[in-house]
Amino acid sequence: MVIPFKESIIVGFSDLWSRKIRTLVTITGIILGTMSIIVVLSLMNGIQKKTMEWMMERGGLAKITVRRDWNYESPTNEPKVFTLREINLIKSLVPEAKYMNPVIRAYIKYSYKKNNYWGPVRGVLTDFSAIEEWDVEKGRFINEIDIREYSDVIVIGTKVKEELFGNEDPIGKWITAHGKRVQVIGIMKHRFMENSGAVGNDNALSYLNRRCFIPLSTMVRKGTGNDEINSFTVKAYDANSAPDLREKLEAIILNLRHGEPVFRIESAQEEAEKMKQQQLIFTIIFFLISAISMLVGGIVIMNIMLATIKERTREIGIRITVGAKRNDIFFQFLIQTILITFLGGIVGVFSGISILSYVSEYLKIELFANAFTILIAITVSVGLGMVSGIIPAIMASRLNPVEALRYE
Amino acid sequence: MIISTGNIIKNYKMGKVIVSALRGIDIEIQKGELVAIMGPSGSGKSTLMHILGCLDTPTAGKYFLNNEEVSKIKKAKLAKIRNKEIGFVFQTFNLLPHLNIQKNIEMPLMYSGLSGRKRAKIAKKVLGSVGLSDRLKHKPSELSGGQRQRVAIARAIVNNPSIILADEPTGNLDTTSGNDILSIFSDLHTQGHTIIIVTHDQAVAKKANRIIHIVDGLIQNGNTL
Ligand SMILES: Nc1ncnc2c1ncn2[C@@H]1O[C@H](COP(=O)(O)OP(=O)(O)O)[C@@H](O)[C@H]1O
Ligand SMILES: [Mg+2]
Repeated sequence: MVIPFKESIIVGFSDLWSRKIRTLVTITGIILGTMSIIVVLSLMNGIQKKTMEWMMERGGLAKITVRRDWNYESPTNEPKVFTLREINLIKSLVPEAKYMNPVIRAYIKYSYKKNNYWGPVRGVLTDFSAIEEWDVEKGRFINEIDIREYSDVIVIGTKVKEELFGNEDPIGKWITAHGKRVQVIGIMKHRFMENSGAVGNDNALSYLNRRCFIPLSTMVRKGTGNDEINSFTVKAYDANSAPDLREKLEAIILNLRHGEPVFRIESAQEEAEKMKQQQLIFTIIFFLISAISMLVGGIVIMNIMLATIKERTREIGIRITVGAKRNDIFFQFLIQTILITFLGGIVGVFSGISILSYVSEYLKIELFANAFTILIAITVSVGLGMVSGIIPAIMASRLNPVEALRYE
Repeated sequence: MIISTGNIIKNYKMGKVIVSALRGIDIEIQKGELVAIMGPSGSGKSTLMHILGCLDTPTAGKYFLNNEEVSKIKKAKLAKIRNKEIGFVFQTFNLLPHLNIQKNIEMPLMYSGLSGRKRAKIAKKVLGSVGLSDRLKHKPSELSGGQRQRVAIARAIVNNPSIILADEPTGNLDTTSGNDILSIFSDLHTQGHTIIIVTHDQAVAKKANRIIHIVDGLIQNGNTL
C-alpha cells in the first residue's frame, strides 16, 4: 500500500514551504504561462463575442451589403452608383432576397423654429427597417404609400430629435430639411452599444442616432434631384443561404458593369466566418507559442526537481530506511512537482483574471475567463507538472538506499 | 532464530577494481540477544549491517530473517519489514533537518499508514521514553548530539520493531551522552528487543551477550563467546 494521497500532499506542502525561494522561482514561469492563457483566450472570446454583437446590431448574419469598392479604379469609367432601374432589375433577378433596400446618402441642414442641425440623411425604402432590424420608437416608419406618393415625410434619429425639439413631441411637426418642408412621422429607436477601444465616443452606434430617413422616391424627385444610389443592402431568408445569394448578386452586378468589380459585395455571414477563421489561426499560433514557452518552463521545472532530488538524496535514503516504498518516494516527488505547477496555475489564473479586468476596462470589451478557459489553464499547468515531474520522480524512486545514505 | 546468514559475500565494483567488503559471513542471532560487532575501520561492519537491515543485498550467500530467505521477499514486503521489523540507528543520526522532532519520529508510522492523530500520540509517548518530551516542535539543529541520537532511537523504536540495528551509535558523541545512549539500548534489550550494535567501546561489549569480531570482511572469533 502506498501512503495516502492526503499524506503526500501534506509532505509536499511542507517541503515546498521549507524551500520558499526555490518554489517561487519554479512557479514564476507557470504563473506567467497560465496567466497568458487566461488573458489571451478570454480576449479571443471577448473580441469574438463583441464582433458578433456588432454584426447582430447591424442587421444580423443574413445581411448582404453592396457598396462601392474604393480600392478599384475603373479604366473605362463604369458608373459607381446604381440607378433605380438597375436596382429594380437586380431585385427581379434575386427572388432569394427577402428584403432589399437601396440607399441614397446626403448631408443636409435641418431646422425647426430657431434650432438648426447638420446631419446625414438617407433615402430608403420600407425594407430598410426589416433589414437593419431597427424600428421606430414612436410614430411610424416610411411605408409603401410614402414611396409611391413621394410623400414629404421624415423619420428622425434620437440625436436629431434632441437637437431640434428638445423635450417637445416632434410627431406631426413640420421641419425644414435641405430647404424643403417635411413632416416628422416617426422617431427611430435609440441605438447604443458600448464602445470598445480606449478612444472615442462611449456609444459605438451614436452615428446611427444622427441619421434621418425619407422615402427614396422623395429623395430622388425633390431632394438630391439625381437618381444615384450609392449602396444597397439585401437580406437573405436566413444566414445559411446568404453566401449563395451573395455569389449570385456578385455575378449579376459584375455583369451590369461589364466585368469590372466596381462594387464590393459582402455577406455578414461570410465576414463572421472569416473572422472566426482568423481568430482560430491566431488561437493556434498563440497555442504553439505558449506550448513552446511551457515546454521551456517544463524543462526548467524538471531541472530544478532533479537538483532538488540530488540535494535530498540522503533524505530519500532515510525514508527508505524507515519503510518508504519505491512508490512512496515516486509519488512524493511527482505530487510535489504537480503541486508546484498546480499552485502556479492557480496563482496564474487569479492574476490572469485580475489583469483581465484592467484589460477589459481599457479596451471596453467585456472580458471574463469562462470555466472552460480556467479548466484549460489548470489542466495545462497540472499536465506540465506531471510531464516534467515524472523523470525526476522515477530517478528518486530508483536510488539505492545505502548509496543515498552515504551522499554528502 | 531471528537472524542467520550463510556465507554472505559482498563485492563492490570500483571501476575495474573489485572491492570485497564481506568475504563469507556466517552468523546466527537468537531472538532477544544483544550482540556487539567490533572490528577495525573498513572491515565491513556497516556493509553487514546494511544487509541485515534489508537496505542492501549480498553479492552471494543467503540471509534468513525470521526463517525467511530475504532475497526471495518482494520489494514491497521488504519495505514493510524495514518499516515494522527493523529499527536502524546511524552514527550520524540521519534526521531530516527540515522536519521537527515529532515529524521525524512519526515518519515510520506515516509509512505504516497510521492517521495523524494516532501518530502524534505514539510519537509523544516514545519521545517521553527517551526523555525529550519538551522538544516535540524543535528542529534537529536545535538539539545536542546526544539528544539527536535519542530522537533517532525514538524513531527506530516507534513502530516497536523486534530488531534494532545500531551502527556506531555513540561514534559522534562525548562519553557522557554516549553512556546515556548505551543505557537506552540496555533498557531496550531488557524489554526484549534483539539488538545488534556496532561499537568500538569495550563497555558496550561487556554488556553484550556476545561479541562478533570482523576483520577484513571475515569473522575472527566465530559465533561463540
Ligand atoms: N558503496 C561502496 N562502494 C565501494 N566500496 C565500498 C562501498 N561501501 C563500502 N565500501 C568498501 O567496503 C569496505 C567495507 O566498508 P564498511 O562496511 O563501511 O566498513 P566499516 O563500517 O567496517 O568501516 C571498505 O573497504 C569500503 O571502502
Ligand atoms: Mg562503518
